[in-house]
Amino acid sequence: MTLYSVLCIVILLFISFLYYNFKKDLMLQNKRLILQEYSNDLISRLKDLHINFDKYKFYPRDERFNSAIYDSDRNLIFSTLISPKVKLDEITYTTNNYIHYIKEPESYYLGAKYVLLEIPEDKAWINDVRNKVTIFLICGFSIMFICGYFLLKLFLRPMRDSLHLLDRFIKDTTHELNTPISAIITNIEMIDIASLEDVKLQKKLKRIDTGAKTVSNIYQDLTYLALKNKIISKNEDLDLSKIVLNRIDYFKTLADVKKISFIKNINSGVKIFCDEKKIGKVVDNLLSNAIKYNKISGSIEVILENKKLIIKDSGKGIQKDKIPAMFERYARFDKSVGGFGIGLNIVYMITKEYNIDIKIKSELNIGTQMELTW
Amino acid sequence: MVKITLILALFLNSFLFANVYEKNCVTCHNKLPVSIDKYFYRYLLKYSSKRAVNAAMLKYLKNPSKDTTIMPDAFISRFGIKNKSTLSDEELKKALDEYWDIYKVFGKLK
Repeated sequence: MTLYSVLCIVILLFISFLYYNFKKDLMLQNKRLILQEYSNDLISRLKDLHINFDKYKFYPRDERFNSAIYDSDRNLIFSTLISPKVKLDEITYTTNNYIHYIKEPESYYLGAKYVLLEIPEDKAWINDVRNKVTIFLICGFSIMFICGYFLLKLFLRPMRDSLHLLDRFIKDTTHELNTPISAIITNIEMIDIASLEDVKLQKKLKRIDTGAKTVSNIYQDLTYLALKNKIISKNEDLDLSKIVLNRIDYFKTLADVKKISFIKNINSGVKIFCDEKKIGKVVDNLLSNAIKYNKISGSIEVILENKKLIIKDSGKGIQKDKIPAMFERYARFDKSVGGFGIGLNIVYMITKEYNIDIKIKSELNIGTQMELTW
Repeated sequence: MVKITLILALFLNSFLFANVYEKNCVTCHNKLPVSIDKYFYRYLLKYSSKRAVNAAMLKYLKNPSKDTTIMPDAFISRFGIKNKSTLSDEELKKALDEYWDIYKVFGKLK
Protein backbone atom coordinates (compact mmCIF):
# COMPACT_ATOMS: atom_id res chain seq x y z
CA MET A 1 0.00 0.00 0.00
CA THR A 2 2.90 2.35 0.84
CA LEU A 3 4.51 1.56 -2.51
CA TYR A 4 1.22 2.23 -4.27
CA SER A 5 0.80 5.56 -2.43
CA VAL A 6 4.34 6.62 -3.33
CA LEU A 7 3.71 5.68 -6.96
CA CYS A 8 0.44 7.69 -6.96
CA ILE A 9 2.20 10.73 -5.49
CA VAL A 10 5.00 10.48 -8.06
CA ILE A 11 2.48 10.29 -10.94
CA LEU A 12 0.42 13.19 -9.54
CA LEU A 13 3.54 15.30 -8.98
CA PHE A 14 4.68 14.57 -12.51
CA ILE A 15 1.32 15.67 -13.94
CA SER A 16 1.44 18.79 -11.73
CA PHE A 17 4.93 19.55 -12.96
CA LEU A 18 3.79 19.29 -16.59
CA TYR A 19 0.82 21.54 -15.84
CA TYR A 20 3.10 24.09 -14.11
CA ASN A 21 5.45 24.17 -17.10
CA PHE A 22 2.54 24.51 -19.51
CA LYS A 23 1.11 27.47 -17.57
CA LYS A 24 4.54 29.05 -17.30
CA ASP A 25 5.07 28.78 -21.06
CA LEU A 26 1.64 30.28 -21.63
CA MET A 27 2.41 33.19 -19.33
CA LEU A 28 5.82 33.77 -20.99
CA GLN A 29 4.20 33.70 -24.42
CA ASN A 30 1.77 36.41 -23.37
CA LYS A 31 4.56 38.49 -21.88
CA ARG A 32 6.74 37.95 -24.93
CA LEU A 33 4.40 40.01 -27.09
CA ILE A 34 4.69 42.97 -24.75
CA LEU A 35 8.45 42.51 -24.42
CA GLN A 36 8.84 42.41 -28.20
CA GLU A 37 7.17 45.80 -28.41
CA TYR A 38 9.44 47.17 -25.66
CA SER A 39 12.55 45.77 -27.34
CA ASN A 40 11.70 47.37 -30.69
CA ASP A 41 11.35 50.67 -28.91
CA LEU A 42 14.66 50.22 -27.07
CA ILE A 43 16.51 49.17 -30.23
CA SER A 44 15.31 52.22 -32.15
CA ARG A 45 16.59 54.40 -29.29
CA LEU A 46 19.90 52.49 -29.30
CA LYS A 47 20.12 53.15 -33.03
CA ASP A 48 19.62 56.83 -32.43
CA LEU A 49 22.29 56.82 -29.74
CA HIS A 50 24.68 54.92 -32.03
CA ILE A 51 24.31 57.57 -34.74
CA ASN A 52 24.65 60.43 -32.28
CA PHE A 53 27.16 58.86 -29.92
CA ASP A 54 29.54 61.77 -30.31
CA LYS A 55 26.80 64.21 -29.15
CA TYR A 56 25.27 62.55 -26.12
CA LYS A 57 26.00 59.31 -24.30
CA PHE A 58 22.88 58.73 -22.23
CA TYR A 59 21.73 55.11 -22.25
CA PRO A 60 17.99 54.95 -23.06
CA ARG A 61 16.07 54.13 -19.87
CA ASP A 62 12.40 53.27 -19.54
CA GLU A 63 10.31 52.97 -16.40
CA ARG A 64 8.35 50.04 -17.87
CA PHE A 65 11.41 47.78 -18.04
CA ASN A 66 15.11 47.41 -17.23
CA SER A 67 17.60 46.49 -19.91
CA ALA A 68 21.18 45.53 -20.72
CA ILE A 69 23.32 45.21 -23.83
CA TYR A 70 26.03 42.61 -24.48
CA ASP A 71 28.55 42.37 -27.33
CA SER A 72 29.06 39.27 -29.52
CA ASP A 73 31.67 37.97 -27.05
CA ARG A 74 29.00 38.26 -24.34
CA ASN A 75 30.78 41.11 -22.54
CA LEU A 76 28.42 43.48 -20.79
CA ILE A 77 28.37 46.89 -22.42
CA PHE A 78 25.79 48.52 -20.15
CA SER A 79 23.08 47.34 -17.75
CA THR A 80 20.20 48.65 -15.66
CA LEU A 81 19.12 45.09 -14.68
CA ILE A 82 18.16 44.21 -11.13
CA SER A 83 18.44 40.41 -11.43
CA PRO A 84 22.05 39.59 -12.33
CA LYS A 85 21.37 36.03 -13.60
CA VAL A 86 21.65 36.15 -17.37
CA LYS A 87 21.17 33.31 -19.85
CA LEU A 88 21.98 34.64 -23.31
CA ASP A 89 21.14 31.35 -25.05
CA GLU A 90 17.44 31.48 -24.20
CA ILE A 91 14.82 33.85 -25.53
CA THR A 92 12.49 34.18 -22.56
CA TYR A 93 13.09 32.90 -19.05
CA THR A 94 12.29 33.74 -15.46
CA THR A 95 14.79 34.33 -12.70
CA ASN A 96 14.62 35.85 -9.23
CA ASN A 97 11.04 37.11 -9.71
CA TYR A 98 11.87 38.75 -13.05
CA ILE A 99 11.12 37.82 -16.63
CA HIS A 100 14.00 38.24 -19.02
CA TYR A 101 13.67 38.59 -22.79
CA ILE A 102 16.57 38.54 -25.21
CA LYS A 103 16.47 40.13 -28.64
CA GLU A 104 19.26 40.07 -31.21
CA PRO A 105 18.99 43.20 -33.40
CA GLU A 106 19.88 42.98 -37.09
CA SER A 107 22.60 45.62 -36.70
CA TYR A 108 24.68 45.78 -33.56
CA TYR A 109 23.96 49.33 -32.39
CA LEU A 110 26.71 50.37 -29.97
CA GLY A 111 28.13 46.89 -30.55
CA ALA A 112 25.14 45.26 -28.85
CA LYS A 113 24.52 41.80 -30.24
CA TYR A 114 22.22 40.87 -27.35
CA VAL A 115 19.62 43.28 -26.04
CA LEU A 116 18.21 42.01 -22.77
CA LEU A 117 14.95 43.26 -21.28
CA GLU A 118 13.75 42.67 -17.75
CA ILE A 119 10.28 43.11 -16.28
CA PRO A 120 8.97 42.03 -12.87
CA GLU A 121 7.20 38.66 -12.86
CA ASP A 122 3.47 38.79 -12.29
CA LYS A 123 2.94 36.41 -9.37
CA ALA A 124 -0.80 36.01 -9.89
CA TRP A 125 -0.36 33.11 -12.30
CA ILE A 126 1.85 31.15 -9.90
CA ASN A 127 -0.65 31.56 -7.05
CA ASP A 128 -3.39 30.35 -9.36
CA VAL A 129 -1.29 27.34 -10.42
CA ARG A 130 -0.38 26.58 -6.78
CA ASN A 131 -4.03 26.55 -5.72
CA LYS A 132 -5.09 24.38 -8.64
CA VAL A 133 -2.19 21.95 -8.15
CA THR A 134 -2.95 21.64 -4.42
CA ILE A 135 -6.60 20.87 -5.10
CA PHE A 136 -5.61 18.46 -7.88
CA LEU A 137 -3.10 16.67 -5.63
CA ILE A 138 -5.56 16.29 -2.74
CA CYS A 139 -8.45 15.15 -4.94
CA GLY A 140 -6.27 12.96 -7.17
CA PHE A 141 -4.57 11.27 -4.23
CA SER A 142 -7.88 10.70 -2.42
CA ILE A 143 -9.48 9.14 -5.49
CA MET A 144 -6.43 6.99 -6.24
CA PHE A 145 -6.16 5.96 -2.58
CA ILE A 146 -9.81 4.90 -2.39
CA CYS A 147 -9.60 3.06 -5.73
CA GLY A 148 -6.33 1.42 -4.69
CA TYR A 149 -7.78 0.32 -1.37
CA PHE A 150 -10.78 -1.39 -2.99
CA LEU A 151 -8.71 -2.89 -5.80
CA LEU A 152 -6.17 -4.23 -3.33
CA LYS A 153 -8.93 -5.73 -1.22
CA LEU A 154 -10.43 -7.32 -4.33
CA PHE A 155 -7.13 -8.72 -5.56
CA LEU A 156 -6.02 -9.99 -2.17
CA ARG A 157 -9.29 -11.70 -1.28
CA PRO A 158 -8.51 -15.06 -2.97
CA MET A 159 -5.04 -15.09 -1.42
CA ARG A 160 -6.38 -14.22 2.02
CA ASP A 161 -9.09 -16.86 1.72
CA SER A 162 -6.60 -19.57 0.79
CA LEU A 163 -4.23 -18.51 3.58
CA HIS A 164 -7.08 -18.57 6.03
CA LEU A 165 -8.11 -21.99 4.78
CA LEU A 166 -4.56 -23.29 5.08
CA ASP A 167 -4.22 -21.84 8.54
CA ARG A 168 -7.48 -23.45 9.69
CA PHE A 169 -6.47 -26.75 8.07
CA ILE A 170 -3.11 -26.79 9.88
CA LYS A 171 -4.70 -25.87 13.20
CA ASP A 172 -7.46 -28.46 12.86
CA THR A 173 -5.04 -31.15 11.68
CA THR A 174 -2.57 -30.54 14.46
CA HIS A 175 -5.39 -30.61 16.97
CA GLU A 176 -6.83 -33.82 15.55
CA LEU A 177 -3.39 -35.47 15.34
CA ASN A 178 -2.64 -35.01 19.00
CA THR A 179 -4.84 -37.78 20.36
CA PRO A 180 -3.97 -40.62 17.95
CA ILE A 181 -0.22 -39.95 18.09
CA SER A 182 -0.21 -39.80 21.88
CA ALA A 183 -2.25 -42.99 21.96
CA ILE A 184 0.19 -44.83 19.68
CA ILE A 185 3.31 -43.64 21.53
CA THR A 186 2.01 -44.28 25.06
CA ASN A 187 0.69 -47.72 24.14
CA ILE A 188 3.94 -48.76 22.52
CA GLU A 189 5.90 -47.46 25.51
CA MET A 190 3.74 -49.69 27.71
CA ILE A 191 4.78 -52.75 25.74
CA ASP A 192 8.07 -54.28 26.84
CA ILE A 193 9.38 -54.96 23.36
CA ALA A 194 12.59 -56.61 24.53
CA SER A 195 10.65 -59.31 26.36
CA LEU A 196 8.69 -60.35 23.29
CA GLU A 197 9.68 -63.73 21.96
CA ASP A 198 8.55 -63.08 18.38
CA VAL A 199 11.50 -61.25 16.71
CA LYS A 200 9.41 -60.22 13.71
CA LEU A 201 6.80 -58.68 16.00
CA GLN A 202 9.61 -56.88 17.86
CA LYS A 203 10.79 -55.35 14.59
CA LYS A 204 7.27 -54.36 13.56
CA LEU A 205 6.62 -52.67 16.88
CA LYS A 206 9.95 -50.81 16.69
CA ARG A 207 9.03 -49.55 13.22
CA ILE A 208 5.65 -48.36 14.52
CA ASP A 209 7.41 -46.62 17.42
CA THR A 210 9.91 -44.90 15.06
CA GLY A 211 7.19 -43.76 12.71
CA ALA A 212 5.00 -42.48 15.53
CA LYS A 213 7.91 -40.55 17.07
CA THR A 214 8.79 -38.96 13.71
CA VAL A 215 5.17 -37.87 13.22
CA SER A 216 5.06 -36.67 16.82
CA ASN A 217 8.16 -34.52 16.26
CA ILE A 218 6.67 -32.91 13.16
CA TYR A 219 3.40 -32.44 15.00
CA GLN A 220 5.16 -30.65 17.85
CA ASP A 221 7.00 -28.35 15.43
CA LEU A 222 3.74 -27.46 13.72
CA THR A 223 2.02 -26.83 17.06
CA TYR A 224 4.90 -24.62 18.14
CA LEU A 225 4.72 -22.56 14.98
CA ALA A 226 0.93 -22.33 14.98
CA LEU A 227 0.70 -21.35 18.63
CA LYS A 228 4.05 -19.66 19.23
CA ASN A 229 2.51 -16.32 20.02
CA LYS A 230 0.14 -17.86 22.52
CA ILE A 231 2.65 -19.96 24.47
CA ILE A 232 3.68 -18.24 27.67
CA SER A 233 7.15 -19.30 28.73
CA LYS A 234 7.24 -20.97 32.10
CA ASN A 235 10.89 -20.47 32.91
CA GLU A 236 12.55 -22.42 35.69
CA ASP A 237 15.89 -23.96 36.68
CA LEU A 238 16.06 -27.18 34.70
CA ASP A 239 18.40 -30.14 34.92
CA LEU A 240 19.54 -30.16 31.30
CA SER A 241 21.57 -33.35 31.80
CA LYS A 242 18.41 -35.28 32.58
CA ILE A 243 16.51 -33.70 29.67
CA VAL A 244 19.29 -34.48 27.18
CA LEU A 245 19.60 -38.09 28.38
CA ASN A 246 15.84 -38.47 28.22
CA ARG A 247 15.66 -37.11 24.66
CA ILE A 248 18.56 -39.34 23.52
CA ASP A 249 16.63 -42.26 24.91
CA TYR A 250 13.49 -41.09 23.10
CA PHE A 251 15.32 -40.89 19.76
CA LYS A 252 17.13 -44.18 20.24
CA THR A 253 14.59 -46.19 18.22
CA LEU A 254 14.89 -43.63 15.38
CA ALA A 255 18.69 -43.87 15.47
CA ASP A 256 18.56 -47.66 15.56
CA VAL A 257 16.86 -47.73 12.15
CA LYS A 258 20.01 -46.23 10.59
CA LYS A 259 22.26 -48.14 13.00
CA ILE A 260 23.51 -44.89 14.46
CA SER A 261 25.26 -45.02 17.81
CA PHE A 262 25.28 -42.28 20.44
CA ILE A 263 28.52 -41.26 22.14
CA LYS A 264 27.50 -39.55 25.36
CA ASN A 265 29.84 -37.22 27.24
CA ILE A 266 27.26 -35.73 29.53
CA ASN A 267 28.22 -34.10 32.79
CA SER A 268 25.56 -34.57 35.43
CA GLY A 269 23.76 -31.67 37.07
CA VAL A 270 24.13 -29.11 34.24
CA LYS A 271 21.48 -26.47 34.84
CA ILE A 272 19.70 -24.05 32.56
CA PHE A 273 17.04 -21.41 33.30
CA CYS A 274 14.47 -22.00 30.58
CA ASP A 275 11.02 -23.26 29.62
CA GLU A 276 11.09 -27.05 29.68
CA LYS A 277 9.06 -27.54 26.49
CA LYS A 278 11.13 -25.03 24.58
CA ILE A 279 14.56 -26.38 25.52
CA GLY A 280 13.14 -29.86 24.81
CA LYS A 281 12.21 -28.68 21.31
CA VAL A 282 15.75 -27.38 20.76
CA VAL A 283 17.36 -30.66 21.82
CA ASP A 284 14.78 -32.68 19.86
CA ASN A 285 15.35 -30.77 16.64
CA LEU A 286 19.13 -30.94 16.91
CA LEU A 287 19.05 -34.68 17.62
CA SER A 288 16.44 -35.29 14.94
CA ASN A 289 18.60 -33.45 12.37
CA ALA A 290 21.71 -35.32 13.51
CA ILE A 291 19.89 -38.59 12.81
CA LYS A 292 18.22 -37.42 9.63
CA TYR A 293 21.38 -36.16 7.96
CA ASN A 294 23.67 -38.91 9.26
CA LYS A 295 25.00 -41.85 7.31
CA ILE A 296 24.12 -45.50 7.96
CA SER A 297 26.12 -46.88 10.93
CA GLY A 298 27.23 -43.35 11.75
CA SER A 299 27.58 -41.82 15.18
CA ILE A 300 26.28 -38.86 17.14
CA GLU A 301 28.45 -37.40 19.86
CA VAL A 302 26.59 -35.47 22.53
CA ILE A 303 28.77 -33.37 24.85
CA LEU A 304 27.20 -31.51 27.72
CA GLU A 305 29.39 -29.37 29.93
CA ASN A 306 28.66 -26.41 32.13
CA LYS A 307 26.92 -23.84 29.90
CA LYS A 308 27.77 -25.74 26.73
CA LEU A 309 25.99 -28.37 24.64
CA ILE A 310 27.59 -29.91 21.56
CA ILE A 311 25.84 -32.29 19.19
CA LYS A 312 28.19 -33.65 16.54
CA ASP A 313 27.12 -36.00 13.75
CA SER A 314 29.09 -38.00 11.18
CA GLY A 315 26.87 -37.10 8.27
CA LYS A 316 27.18 -35.44 4.89
CA GLY A 317 27.98 -31.99 6.22
CA ILE A 318 26.95 -28.77 4.59
CA GLN A 319 28.70 -26.26 2.33
CA LYS A 320 30.10 -23.25 4.19
CA ASP A 321 28.28 -20.69 2.06
CA LYS A 322 24.94 -22.27 2.94
CA ILE A 323 25.47 -22.20 6.72
CA PRO A 324 24.15 -18.62 7.27
CA ALA A 325 20.84 -19.54 5.56
CA MET A 326 20.31 -22.67 7.63
CA PHE A 327 18.07 -20.99 10.17
CA GLU A 328 15.72 -19.54 7.56
CA ARG A 329 12.27 -21.05 7.53
CA TYR A 330 11.63 -23.63 4.79
CA ALA A 331 15.37 -23.71 3.99
CA ARG A 332 16.30 -27.28 3.03
CA PHE A 333 19.61 -28.19 1.46
CA ASP A 334 19.21 -31.94 1.29
CA LYS A 335 16.00 -32.77 -0.49
CA SER A 336 16.68 -36.52 -0.28
CA VAL A 337 15.60 -36.42 3.36
CA GLY A 338 12.05 -35.61 4.41
CA GLY A 339 11.06 -32.50 6.35
CA PHE A 340 9.69 -29.00 5.97
CA GLY A 341 12.73 -26.97 6.90
CA ILE A 342 11.11 -25.53 10.00
CA GLY A 343 13.08 -27.36 12.74
CA LEU A 344 16.19 -25.17 12.73
CA ASN A 345 14.03 -22.07 12.41
CA ILE A 346 12.31 -23.05 15.67
CA VAL A 347 15.74 -23.69 17.25
CA TYR A 348 16.83 -20.23 16.13
CA MET A 349 13.71 -18.56 17.57
CA ILE A 350 14.06 -20.28 20.93
CA THR A 351 17.83 -19.71 21.26
CA LYS A 352 17.29 -16.07 20.37
CA GLU A 353 14.62 -15.75 23.06
CA TYR A 354 17.00 -17.12 25.73
CA ASN A 355 20.19 -15.46 24.40
CA ILE A 356 21.73 -18.84 23.70
CA ASP A 357 24.65 -18.54 21.30
CA ILE A 358 24.61 -21.15 18.53
CA LYS A 359 27.64 -22.01 16.40
CA ILE A 360 27.73 -24.34 13.42
CA LYS A 361 30.86 -26.08 12.20
CA SER A 362 30.47 -28.28 9.19
CA GLU A 363 32.69 -30.14 6.77
CA LEU A 364 31.48 -31.94 3.69
CA ASN A 365 31.47 -35.75 4.09
CA ILE A 366 32.79 -35.45 7.66
CA GLY A 367 29.84 -34.08 9.61
CA THR A 368 28.20 -31.14 11.30
CA GLN A 369 28.70 -29.82 14.82
CA MET A 370 26.12 -27.66 16.57
CA GLU A 371 27.45 -25.85 19.63
CA LEU A 372 25.15 -24.11 22.08
CA THR A 373 26.56 -21.81 24.76
CA TRP A 374 24.66 -19.74 27.29
CA MET B 1 69.25 43.06 -13.12
CA VAL B 2 66.98 40.85 -15.21
CA LYS B 3 63.97 42.65 -13.76
CA ILE B 4 65.38 46.07 -14.69
CA THR B 5 66.19 44.91 -18.23
CA LEU B 6 62.68 43.54 -18.62
CA ILE B 7 61.02 46.76 -17.42
CA LEU B 8 63.30 48.78 -19.70
CA ALA B 9 62.46 46.59 -22.69
CA LEU B 10 58.74 46.92 -22.03
CA PHE B 11 59.04 50.67 -21.62
CA LEU B 12 60.99 51.00 -24.86
CA ASN B 13 58.55 48.77 -26.66
CA SER B 14 55.52 50.81 -25.58
CA PHE B 15 57.37 54.04 -26.42
CA LEU B 16 58.22 52.85 -29.92
CA PHE B 17 54.66 51.73 -30.67
CA ALA B 18 52.86 54.51 -28.81
CA ASN B 19 52.36 56.69 -31.81
CA VAL B 20 51.74 54.10 -34.48
CA TYR B 21 48.06 55.04 -34.65
CA GLU B 22 48.69 58.77 -34.61
CA LYS B 23 51.54 58.61 -37.15
CA ASN B 24 50.24 56.00 -39.52
CA CYS B 25 46.47 56.28 -39.31
CA VAL B 26 45.35 59.72 -38.18
CA THR B 27 47.73 61.64 -40.46
CA CYS B 28 46.21 60.18 -43.62
CA HIS B 29 42.61 60.05 -42.39
CA ASN B 30 42.73 63.74 -41.46
CA LYS B 31 42.98 64.52 -45.16
CA LEU B 32 39.71 62.70 -45.86
CA PRO B 33 36.35 64.47 -45.46
CA VAL B 34 34.96 61.54 -43.37
CA SER B 35 36.23 61.63 -39.81
CA ILE B 36 38.03 58.50 -38.54
CA ASP B 37 35.41 57.65 -35.90
CA LYS B 38 32.74 56.96 -38.55
CA TYR B 39 34.66 53.89 -39.71
CA PHE B 40 34.77 52.67 -36.14
CA TYR B 41 30.96 52.88 -35.69
CA ARG B 42 30.38 51.11 -39.00
CA TYR B 43 32.63 48.26 -37.88
CA LEU B 44 30.97 48.19 -34.47
CA LEU B 45 27.58 47.97 -36.14
CA LYS B 46 28.62 44.84 -38.01
CA TYR B 47 31.09 43.07 -35.72
CA SER B 48 30.03 44.04 -32.18
CA SER B 49 32.94 42.94 -29.96
CA LYS B 50 36.50 44.21 -29.70
CA ARG B 51 37.89 40.88 -30.85
CA ALA B 52 35.64 40.70 -33.93
CA VAL B 53 36.07 44.39 -34.84
CA ASN B 54 39.86 44.29 -34.56
CA ALA B 55 40.09 41.03 -36.49
CA ALA B 56 37.97 42.44 -39.34
CA MET B 57 39.92 45.70 -39.45
CA LEU B 58 43.25 43.84 -39.40
CA LYS B 59 42.09 41.64 -42.26
CA TYR B 60 41.04 44.67 -44.30
CA LEU B 61 44.19 46.69 -43.57
CA LYS B 62 46.41 43.81 -44.63
CA ASN B 63 44.46 43.13 -47.77
CA PRO B 64 42.04 45.94 -48.71
CA SER B 65 39.48 45.13 -51.39
CA LYS B 66 36.02 46.14 -52.57
CA ASP B 67 34.61 42.90 -51.24
CA THR B 68 35.88 43.32 -47.70
CA THR B 69 35.30 47.05 -47.23
CA ILE B 70 32.72 48.24 -44.77
CA MET B 71 32.15 51.57 -46.50
CA PRO B 72 29.29 52.16 -48.98
CA ASP B 73 29.81 51.94 -52.74
CA ALA B 74 29.41 55.70 -53.21
CA PHE B 75 32.27 56.34 -50.81
CA ILE B 76 34.50 53.75 -52.49
CA SER B 77 33.78 55.05 -55.99
CA ARG B 78 34.65 58.57 -54.84
CA PHE B 79 37.71 57.89 -52.67
CA GLY B 80 38.71 54.43 -53.84
CA ILE B 81 40.19 51.58 -51.84
CA LYS B 82 43.07 52.39 -49.54
CA ASN B 83 46.52 51.03 -50.17
CA LYS B 84 47.77 47.89 -48.49
CA SER B 85 49.29 48.69 -45.11
CA THR B 86 53.06 48.45 -44.86
CA LEU B 87 52.99 48.08 -41.11
CA SER B 88 53.83 44.82 -39.39
CA ASP B 89 51.10 42.73 -37.72
CA GLU B 90 52.36 43.79 -34.32
CA GLU B 91 52.23 47.48 -35.23
CA LEU B 92 48.76 47.13 -36.76
CA LYS B 93 47.43 45.36 -33.68
CA LYS B 94 48.86 48.05 -31.45
CA ALA B 95 47.30 50.76 -33.59
CA LEU B 96 43.93 48.97 -33.59
CA ASP B 97 44.03 48.64 -29.81
CA GLU B 98 44.59 52.35 -29.50
CA TYR B 99 41.82 53.04 -32.00
CA TRP B 100 39.46 50.79 -29.98
CA ASP B 101 40.37 52.47 -26.71
CA ILE B 102 39.65 55.92 -28.14
CA TYR B 103 36.22 55.17 -29.59
CA LYS B 104 34.94 52.19 -27.59
CA VAL B 105 31.47 52.34 -25.99
CA PHE B 106 32.46 50.45 -22.81
CA GLY B 107 32.56 52.73 -19.79
CA LYS B 108 31.34 55.76 -21.70
CA LEU B 109 27.58 55.37 -21.39
CA LYS B 110 25.88 57.31 -18.66
